[in-house]
Amino acid sequence: ATGSESTLRQRSTVPKHTPPTDSNTAATEDAPKKVIKSVFTSAEKTNSLIALAGLTALAIVSRFYKINEPDEVVFDEVHFGKFASYYLRGSYFFDVHPPLAKMMLAAMGYFIGYDGHFLFDNIGDKYNDNNVPYIGLRALPAFLGAMTVPLVYMTMREAGFPILTCALAAFFVIFDNMLVTQTRLILLDSMLVFFMMCSIYSYVRFYKTRNNPFSLKWWSWMIATGISIALTTSVKMVGLFTVATIGVAVIWDLWELLDIRRRLTMQQFMNHFYARAIGLILIPVVVYLFWFYVHFAILINSGPGDDFMSTEFQETLKGNTMADGIYVKYGDNITIRHKDTSVYLHSHAHNYPLRYDDGRISSAGQQVTGYSHEDPNNLWQIYSDNVENTKIGNQVKDKDVIRLLHVATSSWLLAHDVASPTMTTNEEITTYSTNEDGSRFNETTFQIILESGGDKLRTMASNFKLLHQSTKVAIWTHSQKLPDWGFEQQEVNGNKNLVQKSNLWLSDNIEGKNASEIDQESSKAVKTRSFILKFLELQGKMISHNAGLTDSHPYQSSPIEWPFLVRGISFWTENETRKQIYLIGNPLGMWIAVASLAVIIGVSGADLLSRRRGFYPLNQDVQKRFYYATGFFFIGWIFHYIPFFLMGRALFLHHYMPALVFSYMVLAAVHGFIFIEGVDGPISDPGPETRPRQLQRAIVPVIAYATGIILMAIHLGSFLFFAPLSYGTSAPSVAGLARRKFLPQWDYHFAK
Amino acid sequence: MYTSENIKRRNPVGSSAGRDQGPQQQQDDHYNNSQNQNRASVDPYGPNPLKPAFQHQQHQQHQHAGTAYGYRDYYGFGYAPSRREYSANKYIRFYQENDYILIPTLLTLVSFWTRFRDIKSSDYVVWDEAHFGKFGSYYIKGDFYFDVHPPLGKMLVGLSGALAGYDGSFAFDSGAKYPDINYGFMRIFNAFFGAIMVPLAYWTAQELRMSQAACIFAAVLVLFDNAYLTISRFILLDSMLLSATCFVFFCLTRFRNERHDPFSLDWWLWLAMTGVAIGLVSSIKWVGLFVTALVGLNTIEELWDLFGDLSLPKTTYIKHWVARAACLIALPFSVYVASFALHFAILQNSGPGDAQMSSLFQAGLNFNDFRNNPLYVAYGSKVSIKNTGYGGGLLHSHVQTFPEGSGQQQVTCYHHKDNNNNWFIKHAKSEGVPEDTGSPQILRHGNLIRLGHEQTNRSLHSHRVKAPVTSAQYEVSGYGDDSTVDANDEWVIEIVEENSHHPKDGQLRSLSTTFRLRHRILGCLLTAENINLPQWGFRQIEVTCDTRNRTNSPHSLWNIEQHWNDKLPAGEGTLYKSKFWKDFWHLNVAMMTSNNALIPDPDKEDVLASNPSQWPLLAVGLRMCGWGDDAVKFYLLGNPIAWWGGTLSLGVFAFTVCYYIVRRQRKFQDVTPMEWDQFLAAGKLLVGGWFLHYIPFCIMGRVTYLHHYFPALYFSLLLFSFVIDHFVNRPGVSSKVRNVVWAVAFAAVTFTFFFFWDVSYGIRGPAAETMKSRQWRGAWNIIDDHKPNTFI
Repeated sequence: ATGSESTLRQRSTVPKHTPPTDSNTAATEDAPKKVIKSVFTSAEKTNSLIALAGLTALAIVSRFYKINEPDEVVFDEVHFGKFASYYLRGSYFFDVHPPLAKMMLAAMGYFIGYDGHFLFDNIGDKYNDNNVPYIGLRALPAFLGAMTVPLVYMTMREAGFPILTCALAAFFVIFDNMLVTQTRLILLDSMLVFFMMCSIYSYVRFYKTRNNPFSLKWWSWMIATGISIALTTSVKMVGLFTVATIGVAVIWDLWELLDIRRRLTMQQFMNHFYARAIGLILIPVVVYLFWFYVHFAILINSGPGDDFMSTEFQETLKGNTMADGIYVKYGDNITIRHKDTSVYLHSHAHNYPLRYDDGRISSAGQQVTGYSHEDPNNLWQIYSDNVENTKIGNQVKDKDVIRLLHVATSSWLLAHDVASPTMTTNEEITTYSTNEDGSRFNETTFQIILESGGDKLRTMASNFKLLHQSTKVAIWTHSQKLPDWGFEQQEVNGNKNLVQKSNLWLSDNIEGKNASEIDQESSKAVKTRSFILKFLELQGKMISHNAGLTDSHPYQSSPIEWPFLVRGISFWTENETRKQIYLIGNPLGMWIAVASLAVIIGVSGADLLSRRRGFYPLNQDVQKRFYYATGFFFIGWIFHYIPFFLMGRALFLHHYMPALVFSYMVLAAVHGFIFIEGVDGPISDPGPETRPRQLQRAIVPVIAYATGIILMAIHLGSFLFFAPLSYGTSAPSVAGLARRKFLPQWDYHFAK
Repeated sequence: MYTSENIKRRNPVGSSAGRDQGPQQQQDDHYNNSQNQNRASVDPYGPNPLKPAFQHQQHQQHQHAGTAYGYRDYYGFGYAPSRREYSANKYIRFYQENDYILIPTLLTLVSFWTRFRDIKSSDYVVWDEAHFGKFGSYYIKGDFYFDVHPPLGKMLVGLSGALAGYDGSFAFDSGAKYPDINYGFMRIFNAFFGAIMVPLAYWTAQELRMSQAACIFAAVLVLFDNAYLTISRFILLDSMLLSATCFVFFCLTRFRNERHDPFSLDWWLWLAMTGVAIGLVSSIKWVGLFVTALVGLNTIEELWDLFGDLSLPKTTYIKHWVARAACLIALPFSVYVASFALHFAILQNSGPGDAQMSSLFQAGLNFNDFRNNPLYVAYGSKVSIKNTGYGGGLLHSHVQTFPEGSGQQQVTCYHHKDNNNNWFIKHAKSEGVPEDTGSPQILRHGNLIRLGHEQTNRSLHSHRVKAPVTSAQYEVSGYGDDSTVDANDEWVIEIVEENSHHPKDGQLRSLSTTFRLRHRILGCLLTAENINLPQWGFRQIEVTCDTRNRTNSPHSLWNIEQHWNDKLPAGEGTLYKSKFWKDFWHLNVAMMTSNNALIPDPDKEDVLASNPSQWPLLAVGLRMCGWGDDAVKFYLLGNPIAWWGGTLSLGVFAFTVCYYIVRRQRKFQDVTPMEWDQFLAAGKLLVGGWFLHYIPFCIMGRVTYLHHYFPALYFSLLLFSFVIDHFVNRPGVSSKVRNVVWAVAFAAVTFTFFFFWDVSYGIRGPAAETMKSRQWRGAWNIIDDHKPNTFI
């Protein structure tokens, strides 16, 4: 039905009873009988290589241009630079992302001789002053960011698009300001996008070998796909979106294979299934676990991440404090430290003022505060609530009801329904003297609830809540300082929100326990724990912490804003020079990309409706390329974008980066769909069963080149216009910034 | 590599002998031409089984032994009633001839008995009777109130009260003992709605082409579900909502079965009935929109099918669209609007809900004193200021301070009338005018004012501090007092519109003039955008100073509501008349806003609330009243067998569909195309109904309770029966097996119902002693105070 003389974009209806069939099995009467190895001529291949080389060079230049500037910590380099340092020191840290990209940065640091002495504490810290070889560290993401470009080009090329289309996609990826800014800094997204494109490229290669199943090439590309998706996921959990993209394509492919008309026996089909299960599930899982194995093997020392993990985990780290833990017994004098703010529960012989500044009245009882230094006033003696059976000498157990005696003032810790000094919603914590009668006994009992570290209270190891028995509040403190009357110590109050994580305290010392006793009670040996338990614990913590990143950030944005580039992120500013780095995509390029996504939806919708009416507006091969190649990239965009709508955590514009790459590929493909007649084909490797098909060539008219060049010019112009904000190398004037403010929400610094 | 020799040839229809080749031929054509297949020829829905169907009887020679009862006809193209063997005994024959009316009648009578018996067993206000009884009272008294639900259900409660001779004077305090009012009648009125779910389930199952046993089983599942029973027996909206949902679904299936005969009288009738039904259900609770969505999706599917029918003339296709738009959009909307029109018509008096409405609307209510306000507003007047945005509140302040930002006194918008809404209009300091200048000076466009809070004396203040929630805008706070005034306390009045017959002369009149308040220094507009503050702000509405200068946003427009000024003459008492559409829209937005504000409060543990994940397997029950040993206690708990079976059937159905689809891809024909289409079509409706009534609760942030699952449950119960029916009517299942399966199913459901009898009809005496054996799941708090979902 598709003779070479018919116009390739056929607008007439295909006869009603011959709907499009699978073109691999469709016999074409007048087709040449010999199998064609490749549809492209050698001249074209050379041209393609030249284009590829040129684009790669441009990509490298765009990523490495003035990579030494600024020589200061920019945005999330704070985190990822720091994590690289921790790897080099081997101290355990905790992050919500899997380890691969950070280990790559650390390895880079190791090779260039960086020892991890710098901790990247604040945005704006100077690298040169601290002898950090940051250019080397930045070179890795910049290089991988640049290498994404040839991958995009080759993926498009393998999917059968003409050179112009491939170059257009690669060009848009090169000159997108967001991709440039984000990939030339010490961040993870460069690796993420690189591995993501490796996955897509490998999968396209794998799909093209489908006529020779179980051949070496077939296995190689499938395993390459599996390893790539594993690497993507080992960089960020967002890699699961890539897994989903590939997964959908694989399921669809299997579904086609299952079709009886494909003439596979069930045994053959199951072989296909098992092969994919091995290559795309089993191998990726092993690779993903491997990086965690390396992660644990490197991070053997106690470090800032200890507190995130369970006691059992911490005991596997060298120099951990857990080993010092001693069981607390009734009658011991202990110090109690707040887990989040590290202050001691403290009291002293001063009372709350009767009347606060805002007119509220207090109980005027003895102050209970949070104090950050060691002091005799931090000592509390632990008693049972049972006056007859004091249990002195017994170990304190989970869910015991206790009373705490402030040793220095000899008074009982107490909570009651009086508003606390700074928070009207929380209860005041005070003490009352042992000299008074026992009428307030019920207000002094607290239940001790151990959240971790076994079922007996142990110093250092046990995190616990102190739950007031009669009014159901938990003792809590926060970084708010009391006024002068409270000596600027932290306010301690009774929190009605019992589930809050910041209700946790730990006991860090028992007065009078000397070192010999400690040695008797516990040994300091580092314990071991099986890898799989460590992995499961860390993975669980990563997921729960990631979901818990709900604190709002001034530059967070909602996913609906991303494709339209409603707002950027301020990465870095320098007040003296008025330079700044403002993360923002290439506005014109991104808006064109959104329009092309709309074209996809419109065209496929119109095609669906017309086919429903027995009218086939698209040539069969054009239609197939449109759905199989362009549609695949579109699905990639959907899968890397839509899931963000379901996430509760704080989201940022740079989360759109993977989807943005797909949207540029869609843009180029849509440009081709509109301006290029027909498609090149067949492009898949022929197999022994493949029937010969007629060679098809795309016709690239002048208008296609013209529009392509215009698009590139627009994109490049827009890129250069915003380049000062992306590279942070020069400071635009106030008027210059105002000109760059296409939308009022783009909140640059130094704009006034 | 793969040649045709490798493929085992399969008989696509199975191995059943003695069947003609008709269906197979049909199947092959269907398969190969699937893209062009005219779907009308495989219509899974035959004609109405209750009608004679002579034209379909030519296929009865394919009668299978398994279809001796019911309306199932496996191998025909339509669904004709089976040719029945009638008994010689005239009584049995009479039953056989009339079973289609006898069975539902009997089920309905049993349903009435279960719903109505001993309905007055507790003579106190149980659970949400406290709300809905009260709302019913308002209709009897005619007092305007506000609630998040649309009015129809509550008007019916009011009607039941009126019929019972109740005068609306009882306060319906939770747990209070009923005085001398006929609450039994009111409960029976409600229970009636719950009772008719049973015959509706029976008929719906029939429309879904289930066998007679399955239809009865579906009805029995509804009849003997303890949760449906319990919730129906009190003065609540749920029984009405449930029966209306069932009615919508019945109409929908009935209408689908008319698809072979479009634009016939019956077709129009059931299309219109569907429309009216979705209007009714949406006017009871917005949950009705879920079943409306089911109707919508079904309509889209139908139109899509018709779109592919190339033989259909275009005008006919357009007629299909128009008919559906008229009956499924215009008609329900009219019903919904009519319920609000009635609502406004009945509630003529000022009441507790006034503050949710526009000032003008309130002024139109009887016994409202606004219209006696002095008309012109002057310096020195005490006023309350209302936001004109839909669902807008009154400008409010209270002694509590912002926990972040400036830490100054909170300023919010609040929907209830209280003294903290009152502000004095004062001269701005920068004008240098002394406060008391004798004759009052009327406010005009452009005047500079300072607003002093009556209770705390603070001035309305804004500054370059981020607002607490909308951090892009400035915070508005209460600051200083009469002696400490600040340049940031000054606001400019900009008059926008005059909504009365008075001329537009730039003077500020109470109620009818809308105006903006612009901060003199920052130039921003006082705005309240229906964004709720966190718990520290008591979930009141955030007030900000909006720098975007959106002069047309109703959220930055205000009007004077209450107005006191001794020096000015009282108002004219002119008739303030607001427009119905404005009020209708205003009330709906206010309902939406309040509904969205019902989010779980992390600081408060609500033992009644439950999580959607706990519902399908009945992990929770709900105590509907106090649990004292002397009280008659009601525990909202489903029939576990019915609930678990319903949930299980969802999984079984999904698995079965996947199994069939995969097998079809390999060209195994486990079911005939006819059966397959029918299986899918009915399953789609049931599973879709369940999903649409369940998933939204998982997504939405508001507090959820067990009874939110009840509409979804109905679909899973029908599916339960449907799935059993499908499997017991497979070829190869003997009638003996079939009978045993049904017997076990009926017995299990009935037994469990009676076992949990007391849970629905009232537990008397100490629960711990009598209910021990009913504690089937750990988290049920029938006997002791479990507190699931808390860390204690």
